[in-house]
Amino acid sequence: MAFVELQNVTYKYPLTKTPALQNINLQINEGEFVAVIGPNGAGKSTLCYALAGFVPHFFKGEISGTIEVAGKESGKSTLDEWVLNVGLAFQNPFNQISGAKYTVFEEIAFGLENIGVPREEMKSRVEDAMALTGIRDLADRSPYSLSGGQQQRVALTSILVMQPKLLVLDEPTSQMDPIGTREVFGTIRKMAEDGMTVVLVEHKMEWIAQFADRVVALKDGSVLLEGKPSEVLTSDLLAENGFGISRYTSTAREAKKRGLWKKENLPVTLDEAVAGFKL
Amino acid sequence: MHERLSFHMKRNSVIHRLNPLTKLVLILALILISFTSPWYWTPHFVLLLAIIPLSALGGVFPEFFKTATRLILPAASFLFLMQAFFQPIGEDVIFKFYFLDITQESLMFAFRNAMRVFVMVSAFTLFLLTTHPSELMSDLTRRGLPPQFAYVIISTLQILPQMQAKAQTIIAAQRSRGLDTESTFFKRAGSVVPLVGPLVFGSLVEVEERAIAIEARGFTSKHSKTSLHEIPDPSFDKVIRWVLLALVILSIAANLWLA
Ligand SMILES: Nc1ncnc2c1ncn2[C@@H]1O[C@H](COP(=O)(O)OP(=O)(O)OP(=O)(O)O)[C@@H](O)[C@H]1O
Ligand SMILES: [Mg+2]
Repeated sequence: MAFVELQNVTYKYPLTKTPALQNINLQINEGEFVAVIGPNGAGKSTLCYALAGFVPHFFKGEISGTIEVAGKESGKSTLDEWVLNVGLAFQNPFNQISGAKYTVFEEIAFGLENIGVPREEMKSRVEDAMALTGIRDLADRSPYSLSGGQQQRVALTSILVMQPKLLVLDEPTSQMDPIGTREVFGTIRKMAEDGMTVVLVEHKMEWIAQFADRVVALKDGSVLLEGKPSEVLTSDLLAENGFGISRYTSTAREAKKRGLWKKENLPVTLDEAVAGFKL
Repeated sequence: MHERLSFHMKRNSVIHRLNPLTKLVLILALILISFTSPWYWTPHFVLLLAIIPLSALGGVFPEFFKTATRLILPAASFLFLMQAFFQPIGEDVIFKFYFLDITQESLMFAFRNAMRVFVMVSAFTLFLLTTHPSELMSDLTRRGLPPQFAYVIISTLQILPQMQAKAQTIIAAQRSRGLDTESTFFKRAGSVVPLVGPLVFGSLVEVEERAIAIEARGFTSKHSKTSLHEIPDPSFDKVIRWVLLALVILSIAANLWLA
């Protein structure tokens, strides 16, 4: 059995008619780095909430099917047990600041205080997590005084420090500059190689192509496509269904129509495009 | 943006090192004694011989003085005037102002009441200046205060400046679309209405997201919580608390006995 397993998951938010998730089947192995893509309203965030237990435990609504992580079933657990295994960070960093702490160091320690980690261990875990995401120099700042990108790093660190087995990230770098994004993706990649399972919602296709093991494309609450980044991200289906597409892919697709792109596969990143056009 | 969101002044003083509960008990005791002691000059002495020296000992006298003179003194003076004029006690009129009389008794009465209020507010000021809110809450949580309660207090303290900043942003945005916020009082009162929506509904979405965020970090976990900062509570502190409690009881007893 896979580490994460969704079977026929269908979910409707309260007071809505159409399901936000429809008959989702998904298997993810331990240590795999899976990217989720899709247009606005496709159900990406809802899928994150479902993996992290907030659907249905927090949002209520109607759910059918089963969600399993690390051999436990979400429907049979309580949310406070579930979050020990699954960490969630989402887009808006401001709302992820607990508001109960005055420094970044305390903010990151908040989760560990809640689950009763002893003081000395807590301090070293916070130090390590801050070193990992490169925010050591922010330790004594007020979380509210930081820039959006810095706050996103703090939000990510606050979850990493809890050492979840499954890390769910909903557009965690939307306010970071390209250099910051690359650093953070590199960090996440390393965590996956060390055995953490990662599900990441992301719009920037070039980053996905470089870092993810697999891509799941969602549309209207269902899985439209699933597979290797190089295959999914260059599929014609994406363009036809209103997905954002890497400009290198669309350029090469046009070029191919005119006989200027000779390779079988379309590129996603700049390097692939350069290599292809050189032929 | 808001780098400083509390009154707390970072110092390394004896007062700062006291356990937060001890400080809370200390200021409550000073206030209670000022209000219950039958001796007329008690509040004055509490201010001169306890609160002011303690603020100096805590290394926060300049900040304390600023708050006391700019904020508390005007309020206490106002209270003093009101009570001096409108308290219908005593016959010995020493000052007349149209139909208002000031008597020796009403003057004394007003002076003491103003002093009591002065003591109360300045004691709290001293407390806020020398106690970090998260230390207070950690300590009280450890002693059994529900963490949800502590969370509400701290996050409210932190969120007020945020709300203020957001209201400013919304006002600016709506003014740029022609909202009138500067003319007569009634027009302005009416123009507050469109601000309420974004502020409240914006906050509701934020509240939901924040609830998810703190839940994701184990806030409702049934584990017993630990605390990053060690907040010492030596036996010295315990002795002080008992002594203070005894003094309060004495003061109340004296009050009842003489009444
Ligand atoms: N709290 C909610 N209550 C009711 N319906 C909701 C709620 N949150 C989302 N929805 C609906 O569920 C559907 C999926 O939304 P979701 O937020 O998962 O999309 P998304 O793929 O994350 O979009 P985006 O790219 O904009 O973040 C949408 O139709 C949305 O309107
Ligand atoms: Mg979303």
